[in-house]
Amino acid sequence: MSEPSQHNYLTTCLRLGAFFCFAGWTWVHYYWEGPYSVLLWHDATYEMAERFGITWDEFVGTGANDGLVQKWIAHLWWPYLICTVLCLTVRKNAWIQMSALVLGSGLLTLLSYAAYVRSQQQLPMFIEHGGQILMPTLLVMALALGPKHRVTVVTAVLAVIMTFAGHGSYAFGLWPTPGRFFGMTTLILGVEYSTAQTLLRTAGILDFLVCIGICVPYLRQPSAMYAIVWGFLTAIARPVSGMSWNLNYWGADQYLHEAVLRAPHFIIPLYLFLLWRQPRSANNTVADLSSADDSATAELDAVTSGRQAVYN
Amino acid sequence: MNLQKPKLSTLCALLLLFVSTPVIAQQGEKKRPGRAILTIPEVSRSEVICFALYTVHDNTLKLTAQLYPLLPSDPKIARLEILKDGKWVEVAKADVIEAGWTAPFRVENWDDTKRYPYRVLHGADAQYEGVIRKNPKDKNEIVVAGFTGNSIHPVHGGDISRQDLIDNVNKVDADVLFFSGDQVYDHNRHYAAWLKFGRDFGEIIKDRPTLCLPDDHDAGQPNLWGESGKVSTLSGAADGGYSQPGVYVQEVERAQTSHFPDPVDPRKVGQGIGVYFTNLNWGNIDFAILEDRKFKTGPAGRVPKQGPRPDHIRNPDYDPASVDVEGAVLLGKRQLDFLDAWAQDWHNAKMKVALSQTIFCGGAHIHGSANGRLHADMDSNGWPQTGRNLALKALRKAFAFHYAGDQHLATIFHHGIDEHRDAIWSFCVPSIANLYLRWWEPLQPGKNREPGSPEYTGDSLDGFDNKVTNYAAANPEKSPAGNVLNTRAAGFGIVRLNTKTREITMECWPRNVDVTDPTAKQYPGWPRTISQFDNFNPPSWGKLGELTFDVDSPVVQLVDSGSGEILYTVRVKGKSFIPAAPKGKTFVIKAGKDAPDAIVANDAAVGGPAQSVTLN
Repeated sequence: MSEPSQHNYLTTCLRLGAFFCFAGWTWVHYYWEGPYSVLLWHDATYEMAERFGITWDEFVGTGANDGLVQKWIAHLWWPYLICTVLCLTVRKNAWIQMSALVLGSGLLTLLSYAAYVRSQQQLPMFIEHGGQILMPTLLVMALALGPKHRVTVVTAVLAVIMTFAGHGSYAFGLWPTPGRFFGMTTLILGVEYSTAQTLLRTAGILDFLVCIGICVPYLRQPSAMYAIVWGFLTAIARPVSGMSWNLNYWGADQYLHEAVLRAPHFIIPLYLFLLWRQPRSANNTVADLSSADDSATAELDAVTSGRQAVYN
Repeated sequence: MNLQKPKLSTLCALLLLFVSTPVIAQQGEKKRPGRAILTIPEVSRSEVICFALYTVHDNTLKLTAQLYPLLPSDPKIARLEILKDGKWVEVAKADVIEAGWTAPFRVENWDDTKRYPYRVLHGADAQYEGVIRKNPKDKNEIVVAGFTGNSIHPVHGGDISRQDLIDNVNKVDADVLFFSGDQVYDHNRHYAAWLKFGRDFGEIIKDRPTLCLPDDHDAGQPNLWGESGKVSTLSGAADGGYSQPGVYVQEVERAQTSHFPDPVDPRKVGQGIGVYFTNLNWGNIDFAILEDRKFKTGPAGRVPKQGPRPDHIRNPDYDPASVDVEGAVLLGKRQLDFLDAWAQDWHNAKMKVALSQTIFCGGAHIHGSANGRLHADMDSNGWPQTGRNLALKALRKAFAFHYAGDQHLATIFHHGIDEHRDAIWSFCVPSIANLYLRWWEPLQPGKNREPGSPEYTGDSLDGFDNKVTNYAAANPEKSPAGNVLNTRAAGFGIVRLNTKTREITMECWPRNVDVTDPTAKQYPGWPRTISQFDNFNPPSWGKLGELTFDVDSPVVQLVDSGSGEILYTVRVKGKSFIPAAPKGKTFVIKAGKDAPDAIVANDAAVGGPAQSVTLN
């Protein structure tokens, strides 16, 4: 495969991941509501608003009308929609669009922080969102630096590790395993609790092994392959276990976005797998996490610069 | 110009910003007081029994001892002894169930006419003592202390000592304790939180019958539509079912309800989860213990979307009938069948009380998580409306008073089905420590208000178009309520059931008051006293002719001559009774000493003549 073509599909891969992630969250914000109330309903938040001259009634509403909180939350789907579109339109050197997407990563960070607070400050809750948080940034990196640039690759590996370490912490039971994990396993596989628990503990161990394997040259490809499959299965587990012919719209409005916004969980490993599956000869300028040295870095920079020259 | 380095630096700086934000925020979090640290304390072997709960019903004592974790070398059997004629006598043994460390005892042929000190023993050293009370049939007034919502977190005032509650329960010498739900807010560690609950309340629980109804948070989820034990996978659980595995829910129910009287219909629901709905007859009060979550249908995907969550309705212009979908269940057939039988059974009962997690209406307008006005909340028992009306119809047939919690907002409602005030009264107690604030604040002033009463009282419709009449609401303060209990409208309830006058008095107390102090004030709107017979006295009804009996307090039943439907059954007060009934219909009146065995009148109608009835 030619270098430009390979760059194209690697970037497209990341583009799709970011697109689906933002599209899923746009749906959440437009059709449902962003989970920000856990951050906004604090004395400290109100005190901050008060410093800007906002009264209590203006902040949360009088009861007969909505306050700033509800109005802003109701409009937050716009930036997500914009980011969704930008994922398709952003091109190299489109710095404004790229900056907007990096800010989109900031929005996803805020969402993840809200989830973290809502989970009563369980660290894995924030960490497991790493893939989603970093997805738009990865796209920007791929465009700005190149999809094979060391920084891009390291960030992608970090994203996979965060996602799988967070998920593994729950599945293995280092933090209380969410009941939904058991529920989805039970419903999809038709197994009893004890079997579901064994399966989840095993999956947790495999999650941790992925985190290690993705950093080891001889293991990274199978690790990435496993991460693709497992990331995809865990993403679609929500609609598969929850959707039903008996529900309005078959439950698609309740569950489908849960899979869509988790696209980075399998698309980032897919990007890494595609990157690493190249023959050694074609891949020898790619950042190799274990053997990179100064000359490789220099070569990488040269390739990256060259690529810029060719594909701008 | 080579822009690579500035670009790289910019990207790295942005990345650093996003990573450091939550890290810094987390550092700040540590400084902010908020959440309690929940642990299972190490205890010596002599302190391994944490607390014990019991009920006595139909001459059967059921007592559950709650233990701290046992060591592998510890015996797995606990013993129950009572002090009889000055000697400790072993009356039961129980295997300790490892999942949750409970020891459920059962003693049949229990003599409930006497008071017995008891002790639970484990191993050589552990001992926990309490008192099994005698059935207070000789008391005119049965006092039931009611609690709900037991947040332990400092941010809700949950770290403040419960000693005021302990003292007040002892001062009023409550006959029954009723914890309506959310005894535990930890969604993953019920056992640890339940032990803390026991340490906080064991001192009053050990000496009197106690009923704890597990609610959503106890079961490990924010809301609960149990759908007969289905598995829930949707965040928020509005798809119906349980978020936690069945074994978790079983452990919760074993800890909180295994000391209840035996369930009247013990068939299990999905995931091996049991049922506990039943009745407790104590002090001539017949309590129906209901599970208003276990069978209830989840709204997600069943009703048209009307708000930011599947269970919330924000759109005030929606059609309430559109969410009353066919097939949606509230109490379910099994509980309705139980209520039908319970309403007709007045053996050893002068008054009836229904206990459940929450009230049969949307009991709040403003919800305290910065979401402002919520038109209707399907977590409440106002939805589904058909199920709500079936429940109220069943309960009013027994003139049952409804005692509940869950709402985080104390209220008194008189419910209506076909017209305002044609069904039962309910008292929703305030939270022990209020996790989540709510306000009852209809946009339009209530109609037919009592003189001088606030505008939020009176006849109105809730968000599901259910007819409700509010008499009191302990709304919290409007601005951020801070960390103080009483600005968050925390407190507890006391219900006094007078079997002589047949009056029901509702009291609603803030925290940290002495209820025996004459200067202590209840929340505005309390106390309120109603008659037992107010629980089914529609304004449009008239009166049949007076019945005079030759026996005291017989049981009377009114049957619609046309349809054969039982309108109600009740043990009347004294030797005379003027039955209330709809106008324009005729009725068969049945009566008897303890059951309505005999027909005493045919074709009775409003405005009919008085008559004497001989039952002896």
